[in-house]
Amino acid sequence: MKKSILAVATLCVLGTSVAMAKNQMATDTTPAEDLKIYRAYFMKKFPGVPLQEFANGVNAVSEVNRENWEAIEEFPPYEPMIDEGEVIWNTPFKNGKTFASCFNNNPAQRKNYPYWDKSKKAVVTLEQAVNACLTKNGEKPMKYKKGKITRLLAYMGYQSRGQKTNVVVPNDPDALKAYYDGKTFFFARRGQLNFSCAQCHVESAGQRVRSNVLSPALGHTTGWPVYRSKWGDLGTLHRRFGGCNKQVRAKPFKAQGKEYRNLEYFLTHMSNGIEYNGPSTRQ
Amino acid sequence: MKRIIPVAALALLGAVALSGCSSDAVKSDTAAKSSYEKTLAEAKAERKKAAAVGGEWRDIGKFLKAADKAAAKGDYDTAMKLAKKALFQAKMGQIQAKEQAGVGNPAYLLN
Repeated sequence: MKKSILAVATLCVLGTSVAMAKNQMATDTTPAEDLKIYRAYFMKKFPGVPLQEFANGVNAVSEVNRENWEAIEEFPPYEPMIDEGEVIWNTPFKNGKTFASCFNNNPAQRKNYPYWDKSKKAVVTLEQAVNACLTKNGEKPMKYKKGKITRLLAYMGYQSRGQKTNVVVPNDPDALKAYYDGKTFFFARRGQLNFSCAQCHVESAGQRVRSNVLSPALGHTTGWPVYRSKWGDLGTLHRRFGGCNKQVRAKPFKAQGKEYRNLEYFLTHMSNGIEYNGPSTRQ
Repeated sequence: MKRIIPVAALALLGAVALSGCSSDAVKSDTAAKSSYEKTLAEAKAERKKAAAVGGEWRDIGKFLKAADKAAAKGDYDTAMKLAKKALFQAKMGQIQAKEQAGVGNPAYLLN
């Protein structure tokens, strides 16, 4: 009798330890394992929402938001900005070349960024590639958060619609470090409010913060640049990162600095398989 | 004449007392200034350390600027309060960043 009680108790303890997972360190799982974990989590949290729908952000999980968004998308406020971007794309630099010379004559470049550049040992984003093209051709680089760059990205994004996110994290210790740094940034609590990105956009996705519904992190990187009602203009992903950091009362990092590029690398990898649909509108 | 003497004596006493007070006030102002400057320097150093570990909080810079303004007006009480706030937040930011270093998937993702 004693033995059977002991056996049952042992099984209970073992069972509990198996069922209750513990917080992990970033390097405990590979990028491929992470992808499976995140996909399973969001599918379970939002049953019936198809994977591609997550490209629509909060509008995939909130009916009210979706109705408003669909109404706005009938006459999208970013439409004239795509045209402005096309003009920028086609306008020759002082040396007579255009952006086409840096991007194989193809503005549909979204699927190629961000990527790990082995020689630079750094994550390279589309915004950086745009500015590298400008400086290479003797032009002044653009600012990274708003303005002219968002017009060009809107045009390039529009041309890239339908391309699938496919961020590759090579088996290179430096690339993996960049991925894990981005992952830690995403899950680490920061600022006076002691909040992580994940607490809002993973754990509490779909819930409300005052009148706003929190968007799921899955698909967060597909619709940029975004026209936000709050901004009354288009903005870049790193502008939004900075805004989120400020909201939790942390000092934001520099747009296109290492921290946000690594975060973009991790976050875009999370959305692998989801189609790009930028530019888009958000609350 | 008899009345004039006490009045003059009182005036003299008053002057002595006032000069004593003002010298005390100067001393306490100097002490407040020096104490504020010490705290300010400490806050600035801790802020740098917080930034180095990626843990600087949003409002530290604002507190330090406001502290500078208050000190320039001679309001060392307010300046000191703000410098102490900045110092506290800079230290907390460092603790937070060190505690969160290397974190990965939280348990709720895995259950």
